[in-house]
Amino acid sequence: MDIFSALLLTAFVVGYLVLAGADVGLGLLMPRVARSTGQRRSALAAIAPYFLASEVWLVAALGVLAGLFPSVEHHVVGRLWPALAALALAWLIRDAGLWLWRRVPSARWRAVWEGAVIAGSWGLALSWGLILAGLLTGVLWSGLFTPLCTAAVVALFALRGASFGADRLAADDGGQAADACGELTRILSRWAMAAVVLAAAAAVLPGGPRPEDPLVAGAVMLLLLGSLMVTTGVYGPMISRVTSAMAIAAPGILVALVADLPSAAIPGVTGTFVWATLVPTVPVMLLGQVWLHRMTRRSAGAVTFFA
Amino acid sequence: MLEDPLLLARLQFALTAATHYTFVALTLGLGPYILVSQLVATLRGDRDRMRSVRFWGGLYLVNYGMGVLSGLVMELQLALNWNGLHEMFGYTFAAPLALETMTAFFVESTFLGLWVFGWDRMGRWAHLFCFLVVTATAYMSAWWVLVSNGFLRNPSGFEMVDGEAHLTDPVALMANPASSLTFGHVVTSALLLGALVVGAVSAHHLFRGHDPYGTFRRGIRFCTVLMCVMPMVVVSFGGAQFSYFDTAPPTSGLTYTTEEAEAMTEAAGGGLASAMSQAGSVTMMLMWTLLFFLGPVMALVWPFGGLDRWRWFLAPLVVTPVMPYIASVAGWVFRETDRQPWMVTHHLTTADAMTPMPAGAAVASFSFFTAAFAALAAITLWLLVRFARLGPDLGPLAERGPEQEEPAAPRLTF
Ligand code: HDD
Ligand code: HEM
Ligand code: HEM
Repeated sequence: MDIFSALLLTAFVVGYLVLAGADVGLGLLMPRVARSTGQRRSALAAIAPYFLASEVWLVAALGVLAGLFPSVEHHVVGRLWPALAALALAWLIRDAGLWLWRRVPSARWRAVWEGAVIAGSWGLALSWGLILAGLLTGVLWSGLFTPLCTAAVVALFALRGASFGADRLAADDGGQAADACGELTRILSRWAMAAVVLAAAAAVLPGGPRPEDPLVAGAVMLLLLGSLMVTTGVYGPMISRVTSAMAIAAPGILVALVADLPSAAIPGVTGTFVWATLVPTVPVMLLGQVWLHRMTRRSAGAVTFFA
Repeated sequence: MLEDPLLLARLQFALTAATHYTFVALTLGLGPYILVSQLVATLRGDRDRMRSVRFWGGLYLVNYGMGVLSGLVMELQLALNWNGLHEMFGYTFAAPLALETMTAFFVESTFLGLWVFGWDRMGRWAHLFCFLVVTATAYMSAWWVLVSNGFLRNPSGFEMVDGEAHLTDPVALMANPASSLTFGHVVTSALLLGALVVGAVSAHHLFRGHDPYGTFRRGIRFCTVLMCVMPMVVVSFGGAQFSYFDTAPPTSGLTYTTEEAEAMTEAAGGGLASAMSQAGSVTMMLMWTLLFFLGPVMALVWPFGGLDRWRWFLAPLVVTPVMPYIASVAGWVFRETDRQPWMVTHHLTTADAMTPMPAGAAVASFSFFTAAFAALAAITLWLLVRFARLGPDLGPLAERGPEQEEPAAPRLTF
């Protein structure tokens, strides 16, 4: 039971990083790839179908953390309070931007909420960097490792966003924005590699994280660097949909496998109660997610509620 | 006051929860009305009714956005500020919340996305099915949240192991009267609130003789019927809730002896919290009394065509929804302050439940979140009123020509 619960938590966190990484990442890149009014609308129209269905993975992760791993939650909140509060605020600001952007047809109104989406996306990526670094080291700030790890995580978000943008941005600007995203996948994977290598070097310095199992940590790092490496090549833009997903999943997997988190046996009745109620709804959860992703597979064009 | 993190965290929770619930109540109240309207529209292939669905659906979505935003902050705030609660009651209090996030929110948000983006991409029945799932999961979510919240009021179904509560009886947890009766009261009062919002918006348009698709004619009749029936149901569940007042929870004695716990309650009594509690209960019941007469009056003028034509009658109806809103917030103030000084009755005091934090952090978190909430709630309210007045042709979900109401900028064609 405990191992399944741990897998469930990991699945929600990794699912969040992979799915939300795409729409948060595109938010990071908006100042660069969405300059004209039409391009900005098309960026928001690309994000809109997914952000609700992506963020619920994190809501679910928080729920599992609170209900099945209260000692981990206590530990994490105690140490990373400021980073988590920043995450909450960035999340609020970004979502407010997405919900409100289309509501009033005025250029000024839209500029404000575009700003909120961009600022909120940066806030989210940066807080995730701090949180993942904090989970690995056990403290909010540990010397050089924390800023380097944060930079690496932000680069991974941006890479994921570039790959998503290349796929989903509508071609009504002659494909400029989508092409810019495609090109960015190669550049960003180089930046990400540099940041990951530097962070790994800083990890060996005193004060860096002490993985419980260095071999496993090494294997995950190899997977990460490998996915980034192949993305730098000429095929980068084409394969980045898969490689960027693998790359951004890596930090989540790393935390699950090697971070030094308190462990406690989940009391039997709670475990049974939660699992017995959860299992019947899993098919509905998956049905919704798969259906939504299939339905919105074509790039975003028509006007909807959000953009 | 600024030096006391406990007071700030409590005030922050109260303000954000009240804001959250204000929007939640309308989500719960409008959902079934939209669902039934869409069902009828689908069965009869009625385009005018479908326009009404788009109209109310647009309001639903604008409102839902703020429900989600504030809900996310509630979830994080609960983890961040009330760590002591999770430390002691993680496996009991938080287990239903965990189920809610997975079995309700997860499904609800995904299917809402399907409903919004599926308007012209999926079949009529599949589209209807999506909203059925949205409505059902919204109610399920309310149920699980209230199981958690009822646990605070009347904790049951666990044993204490090394200062940590371990669930022993999930049935007792779910059959808690402080959850099930509350669910009845909350759901019916939300339906009443939703009906009155529909009625008020309808009255506004009928007042100006503007009802191209019969949306508002139907709306005000629906409101009249519900206003005649619902107050009785609300008061029955409300009255039934008094049954668990003044009795110690079944688990009393597991942490403090019942005498100790009662002495602690006694010592904390009579302060600001109990004054607020009383004010809350008086306000709620006063509002109910006013609402109780509204339905019959509406029913009386119906046969004479007053619901469609008597402008002096329609004008005041427009502002009536403030009453159920005030009653709802007052109801929560009543319930939550009545529990003080306890976070979990007879087990954990509010003071002990709080995450230890420096005063500076508490002030920063309080100011950021309260300011952001006040701004967002004001904007959402303004938008709701704006779209309600714009009517069925101009709402955020209205059928539109390619690029109606876009800002004046060079148009891209696609
Ligand atoms: C009686 C009903 C009720 C009550 C008392 C609460 N909620 Fe709520 N909540 C809902 C009923 C609801 C809802 C109707 O299901 C919402 C409103 C809009 C929506 O999307 O779902 C919602 C949204 C919502 C969301 C957004 C989920 C998403 O769709 O992504 C979260 C995380 C929470 N709530 C969390 C909380 C917490 C932590 C609460 C108390 C401490 C709380 N809610 C009280
Ligand atoms: C599961 C749902 C809920 C939980 C877990 C919960 C828990 C809490 C917590 C942690 C506090 C702060 C500590 C305290 O003063 O007791 C509180 C206070 C309060 N809550 Fe709730 N609450 C819930 C739902 C709501 C809702 C939906 C409202 C809507 C208005 C609400 C209204 C209040 C008020 C007014 C206070 C202030 C009481 C005071 O500080 O004396 N609560 N509740
Ligand atoms: C428009 C009318 C009303 C609305 C909108 C309303 C709303 C609410 C809400 C939202 C709550 C907090 C959740 C809960 O504990 O259920 C509440 C609490 C409560 N209501 Fe009402 N209410 C109304 C009328 C009444 C009436 C007429 C009664 C009296 C018979 C009543 C009795 C109660 C009681 C006893 C509680 C507190 C339960 C507790 O502390 O556990 N309500 N109300």
